[in-house]
Amino acid sequence: MSTITRQASLTQAARSYRPEARWLHPMAWWSWAIGLAIAASSTTNPLLLMGIIAVAALVVDRRKPQAPWARSFSFFLRIALLIVIIRVLAQILFGAPTGTLAVISLPALTLPEWFAGVRIGGTVMLEPLLQSVYDGLRLAAIIVAIGAAGSLASPARVLKSVPAAVYEVGVSVVVASTFLPQLVGDVSRIRANRRLRGRPETGVRALTGTMLPVLHSAMDRSITLAAAMDSRGYGRTADRSTADRLRTGTALLAGIVFIAVGLFFLLGTASQDWENWGLGIVALGIVSAAVSLALAGRRSTRTRYRPDHWHRADIATLACGSFTAIAFALAARIDPSGMATATQPPTWPSLPLLALTALVVAALPAFFTPQPPKDFR
Amino acid sequence: MIEFDDVSIRYEPDGSDILTGIDMFISEGEFVLVVGSTGSGKSTLLSSINGLVPHFTGGVLRGEVRVDGRSTREHRPRDLADIVGVVPQDPLASFVTDTVEEELAYTMECLGLAPTVMRRRVEETLDLLGLEELRNRPLRTLSGGQRQRAAIGAVLTAHPKILVLDEPTSALDPGAAEEVLAALHRLVHDLGITVVMAEHRLERVVQYADRVIELSGSGRAIAIGEPTTIMATAHIAPPVVHLGRVAGWHPTPITIRDARRHADALRTLLTGQVPPLRAVPDPNSPPIANLDSLRVQHGTVTALRDVNLRVDQGDIVALMGRNGAGKSTLLHTLVGGLTPTRGSVDVTGSDPRQLAGPELLARVGLVPQEPADLLEAATVAAECAASDKDAGCDSGTTRAIVALLAPDVTDSTHPRDLSEGQRLLVALAIILAARPRLICLDEPTRGLDYPTKARLATILTDLAEAGHAIVLATHDVELAAEVAHRVVILADGEVVADGPTSQVVTSSPMFAPQVSKVLSPQPWLTVGQVQRALANLGGTA
Amino acid sequence: MSNATIARVSHNRTARAVPIGARSAIAIGFTTAIGIVAFGWPFLAAPESSVLAHASDAPIAFALLVPAVLIVVLAQFADGAMDAKSVAMLGVLTAVVAALRPLGAGVAGIEPIWAIIILGAYALGPGFGFVLGAVSLFASALITGGIGPWLPFQMLAAAWIGLAAGLLAATPTARRWRGSHPWREVIALAAFACLAAIAYGMLMNLWFWPFTIDLAPGLAFVPGEPVTNNVLSWLRFSLVTSLGFDIPRAILATALIAVAGRPILVALRRASRRAAFEAPIRFESSRD
Repeated sequence: MSTITRQASLTQAARSYRPEARWLHPMAWWSWAIGLAIAASSTTNPLLLMGIIAVAALVVDRRKPQAPWARSFSFFLRIALLIVIIRVLAQILFGAPTGTLAVISLPALTLPEWFAGVRIGGTVMLEPLLQSVYDGLRLAAIIVAIGAAGSLASPARVLKSVPAAVYEVGVSVVVASTFLPQLVGDVSRIRANRRLRGRPETGVRALTGTMLPVLHSAMDRSITLAAAMDSRGYGRTADRSTADRLRTGTALLAGIVFIAVGLFFLLGTASQDWENWGLGIVALGIVSAAVSLALAGRRSTRTRYRPDHWHRADIATLACGSFTAIAFALAARIDPSGMATATQPPTWPSLPLLALTALVVAALPAFFTPQPPKDFR
Repeated sequence: MIEFDDVSIRYEPDGSDILTGIDMFISEGEFVLVVGSTGSGKSTLLSSINGLVPHFTGGVLRGEVRVDGRSTREHRPRDLADIVGVVPQDPLASFVTDTVEEELAYTMECLGLAPTVMRRRVEETLDLLGLEELRNRPLRTLSGGQRQRAAIGAVLTAHPKILVLDEPTSALDPGAAEEVLAALHRLVHDLGITVVMAEHRLERVVQYADRVIELSGSGRAIAIGEPTTIMATAHIAPPVVHLGRVAGWHPTPITIRDARRHADALRTLLTGQVPPLRAVPDPNSPPIANLDSLRVQHGTVTALRDVNLRVDQGDIVALMGRNGAGKSTLLHTLVGGLTPTRGSVDVTGSDPRQLAGPELLARVGLVPQEPADLLEAATVAAECAASDKDAGCDSGTTRAIVALLAPDVTDSTHPRDLSEGQRLLVALAIILAARPRLICLDEPTRGLDYPTKARLATILTDLAEAGHAIVLATHDVELAAEVAHRVVILADGEVVADGPTSQVVTSSPMFAPQVSKVLSPQPWLTVGQVQRALANLGGTA
Repeated sequence: MSNATIARVSHNRTARAVPIGARSAIAIGFTTAIGIVAFGWPFLAAPESSVLAHASDAPIAFALLVPAVLIVVLAQFADGAMDAKSVAMLGVLTAVVAALRPLGAGVAGIEPIWAIIILGAYALGPGFGFVLGAVSLFASALITGGIGPWLPFQMLAAAWIGLAAGLLAATPTARRWRGSHPWREVIALAAFACLAAIAYGMLMNLWFWPFTIDLAPGLAFVPGEPVTNNVLSWLRFSLVTSLGFDIPRAILATALIAVAGRPILVALRRASRRAAFEAPIRFESSRD
């Protein structure tokens, strides 16, 4: 009796646990999505890939807000399907006839020698066809994963989370998104006003005739905007010593130079040692760049109004995404046949346990994260 | 608080001075009004207070401008952002973010205030300016008055000591202008903020001002003093001041209330006189434009509801009403830019929707709210040539009309470099090239100073006498009183009043010109009418 | 009030919209090198190198690396060189690009944005062009909700196009033509736009071409093959896949510049002049 009531009260508690509606930190969603994308690129197992797409769809369905920008996910699903179809079609048309099991025989057309004697059509073999499906699915899964973040994290909030070092660039994107609807309004108004000069409203002349006044007024407005921004204190910088600025600048450059050098090593060498060297130098470059960005961020004295904070749910989402990526990468090392489904000979795809767990973990943010609030900003 | 020490400004190092030898001191908590005709240097003066001139615009500053002890020589505009708040003329063009709340916070973000402080100040400012329900609204969906208040709020959150405003009420209807001015008044009196404001429509503002700065002679002369003193001799003055001068009242009244104290004697003097009647058009001749039970919809919103309007030859009709009442929609329907859902539009016997090209231009022309929309070419001369081609008339016609309307416009200027008034007159000239029977103007007086407005009034009266019909959408009651034969008031898409000017404008205080308010119940509308009546008296006496 | 004749002479240090200093130039140089690797690793990697061994991971790895590098380069640019005028102008032109992007009739790649990016870069300088290319592609993707793993590569390619167009304007020939031979400028820019559009398409192909292992040997990427063979395969692949996209894009860009290039340049140059990027600021004592 007591176990039943305890169970009932637990379920009741679980059901009544509604984390208050708030926005998740946009970087939490993006890191989750990138983790999912990295996971997708580590495997060609169709079941796992479809699982990734399903997980992304689940999370988006449960946590996307009622905002116009959140409706783009269906577009990404369509693109994903399109990519698979195109990849398969390309394989059917241009595929190399390796493998043993024929699927269909199309009339063949051999292109001339300067086109490397590529053969269009011909016998379509099963193995490469399967491989193309897996390849297409992989690209599709990467795209869907990244597209999911686009529907979960508000663009406005992403701009607010831009690192302080590139604040100016963030502001210009904010200005662009503020200005865009005005621009569209300008275009329709100016196009309608062409009638007043007896000029046609449609046609090529209308296009250029509309574009120019719009561009002029846009440029004039940018100067008004710049004056207003200046008057409101835009561009105040902290007093920094020359040494400090030198440090930041050097760290910035060092970051880029190290990455370039590391890549150079990675490109040209075969031995494991050099590979580690190369990776190490690239990593060093990334660290240096991160440090320099943090330092450069200190030059601006601006603060953020109502910034997004990292709460437990945000960190947990980040952790889920990271776990998924690491688990898949690990699984690709320890269980290559499970992660990269073989096609020659064609085998049924398996479900490696580690990867499956990772998928489940990746789906968790659909449940423990808070619902987005009703006002979609 | 603001100190100008023998300041001279010019933009080109070897050009001429825009402002010369300005010496003045504005103390804390003053409401200062800057008046002057276009080109007199008002904007330069205002921009030099926070250092936009010369740090932003380039140029040479001789002398020194000190704001709360800080000199603009060492301090750039961003360094003065915590004590000077600048509200530009076109707030929509200067909004950085999308919503009201974020815009209010933006200034504080730039100044580096702590998030808790920012939160508190945003709430305070929303309350102070009456914007609480609008906090999450996108800025472009706000009305003109709300937008202006949001712009003021955006700079107010920095708790500046000085507010500089460049023509804040020029685009607003009288109601919205009242809201904004009342808010400013509250800021000055409750918070002790110094307000420096440039404005063309003096009739709305001059009663609030503690001191008036008058710039004249292309920035060479400056007069600073009490409103009554300056207005006694100012070139630019509201109608009530001109009335005072004509009637010989001392001290020159600047508010309606002051004027009414003197008005008794004038009223007695003018008893028995009536303003001259405007010619009534022949009701039998066919109307130039006729709207019958017109209904126009924009998506789900009904912009015009059951509107009937008849415009005859030689008529000048003023369309008045709040922003958003449907005035622009009506004008665009007259030109054939919008399709009515119900009812008919008839312009010189045809449906304007069927007309296009020179055919359309010869019958009806519209100068839109933004005259620059019509201007595409790189020089005024090229614009005129294109206009001649569009209208199908002899080359040189448009240029001749431009020379007539705005003689100071040169051929090689870029049309967008012209002043507001010049742009309007060039656009009007382009419309007039084809000699349309019906001429429409949408808010022509935005940003125009008194001399240009008077010029426009003369031009419109001449055009009406020549036989054109004119429909004019405006909320400038003075212009309507000056030129219009009839006034039509629109509210929420419906016509609520349609009759001779003298009847309609005097029926409501919102639309009554200053002279009418002073001399009511007598039917005088403009200073010109009173002046002519007095001259008649003087002639016969 | 001092008695000295001239208190201070200060020239507005942004003589161009976004100036390129020594550090920025080095940063761009190395970023270009990294970008060449990010796009061209199929050709540049030695046959037995580890990059080729992880050929399937490389696209996403670079898709994560390139944005990091771009952020660092943009931070370098932003460091004191981008004032309110540059930012406002950048924002407005970005909005124009973002508005034009969906006009490609829904077909990916045929967008009329290249005319604005190239002309904007030509009128406002190579630094501005680089930043404009990168930021406008990013902003239009963000605003229209179309961020995908292709975005970093698009940003880099567009930044290169902007940089090149801006550098074109700095050549002595361009300076001679400026103002005196406007038509020659327009024709040169139109030709540049044609090349740039095709190059962009071919570069973007490089992004997903390595995914096509398994296509016919003449078209697909084969790790380990000699470089020339792979390059030829790439060219054939481009020819096959991009004919539908690159040629129309090039035609659109060239046509736009040829038709509207002059007035657009005039408008942009007028804006640059009015923004007074180069106006000197001087303070004088009044007691002269």
